[in-house]
Amino acid sequence: MRDIRLRTGTATLLSIIAFYSIPGAVAAFVWWMVFTPNLTIVRKNRLVIPSILLIGAFSLVLELTGGGGLSYFFRMTIVIFIGVWLLSGQTRGEFLHMGCWIFGNRTGFELGMLAEMALQNLHALLSDFDRIRDAERMKGVRSGLRSIVPVGRVLVHGTLLRAEDTAELLAVRGYVHGGTCVPAFETEKGDVPATFFAVCAALISLIPVSAFFILS
Amino acid sequence: MKLALDRVSITRGSWHISADCTFTEGIHLISGDVGSGKSTLARVMAGLLPEATGSVVAEGIGSQMISFQFPEYHITATTVHEECESWGLDPKTILSAIGLTDKYDRDPLRLSRGELKRLHLACILAHRYDLLILDEPFSSLDVCEKQRICRILSGREQGITILFTHEQAIFPRVGQIWEIRDGKLNSCGSPPDGIRNWQHAPAVIKRLMAKKKVLKNIFFEDLEEAACGT
Repeated sequence: MRDIRLRTGTATLLSIIAFYSIPGAVAAFVWWMVFTPNLTIVRKNRLVIPSILLIGAFSLVLELTGGGGLSYFFRMTIVIFIGVWLLSGQTRGEFLHMGCWIFGNRTGFELGMLAEMALQNLHALLSDFDRIRDAERMKGVRSGLRSIVPVGRVLVHGTLLRAEDTAELLAVRGYVHGGTCVPAFETEKGDVPATFFAVCAALISLIPVSAFFILS
Repeated sequence: MKLALDRVSITRGSWHISADCTFTEGIHLISGDVGSGKSTLARVMAGLLPEATGSVVAEGIGSQMISFQFPEYHITATTVHEECESWGLDPKTILSAIGLTDKYDRDPLRLSRGELKRLHLACILAHRYDLLILDEPFSSLDVCEKQRICRILSGREQGITILFTHEQAIFPRVGQIWEIRDGKLNSCGSPPDGIRNWQHAPAVIKRLMAKKKVLKNIFFEDLEEAACGT
């Protein structure tokens, strides 16, 4: 799905219904299986497995303490899949265009720019993480719980430095607020039908079964 | 002792780099434009990039180290002296050699980039690695420090040292010059002939050659000698 407006709208809708109920999660999962290159994007994204493991740990605690952990795990896993799909087709600048399209050149520009910076930082973090692990391996530091703290320290330090550099650059270039952007979007064949079916999936999961069928 | 890159190739979309060559003992300088793939190739040589095709064969290499451009990646301790110790070194010896004795208890991440680079290079160069890969070792260093590092590197007689840099003036004495051209690693040869074949040669070297000055090597003292010679 090329159009960021439809992609974000669809992802938001499907995430809400998946989180809201099990039928919603099933409907979102079916949609994800039919309309996305499902397993390919999951395999390509390195954050999927750690995210699912993290959710799994929370779910286990939830299940052991009060119940509902399994349901939470299933629903959140689908939310992760939808999120991965949303970001898999991301191209530079599209969130800025969408921000300006929705909220205009002042607030929209700033929100869009923030989203772009956040995504850029995510990519930088992954790249930093690889280099740090490589450096540790060369130094003979074993991966494990003890190596998490130094890795985290360097990652946080790098992120703060980048944020400071970006803020200084913006200030030096006279940035105060807002900007000028003429939003442009590309829609490909299949974007609208996929969105339509996402809305159908949402309706089916939200409307009680009795509204569709006459049950005795 | 040798490191052979057998038809190594990395492709990312329309970007591509390939290398088919062998590095023997001595100091090798690899130059190339920004974005030409120097850091990628450095990681391939260190065996850190599994997606590369072809093979990297290390013969007789028992120990190896790569130094990344950003020294922060190598930090594993919370104080400067612990960082030295994490490399198995005596902090007092290392810190006095680089003039950072007063930073003994400082958090390494609170050092300036130049100080951190000095600390990192001092720790790495205190060891005798069979294969030492340095990715932009001169970045963030002032002229005096670059010259000091070049003297140390020029004194490395054992092992394979590979320098990836786009430094423009201060170099160690090198055994072979390489450059990345059109997505391929090419050998220019050994100095002095290698200097003439070096298309990415810095402006100062090109100017000296244009004036028919005789360059024995690219070590900064050789350049000074050539510039001052008649």
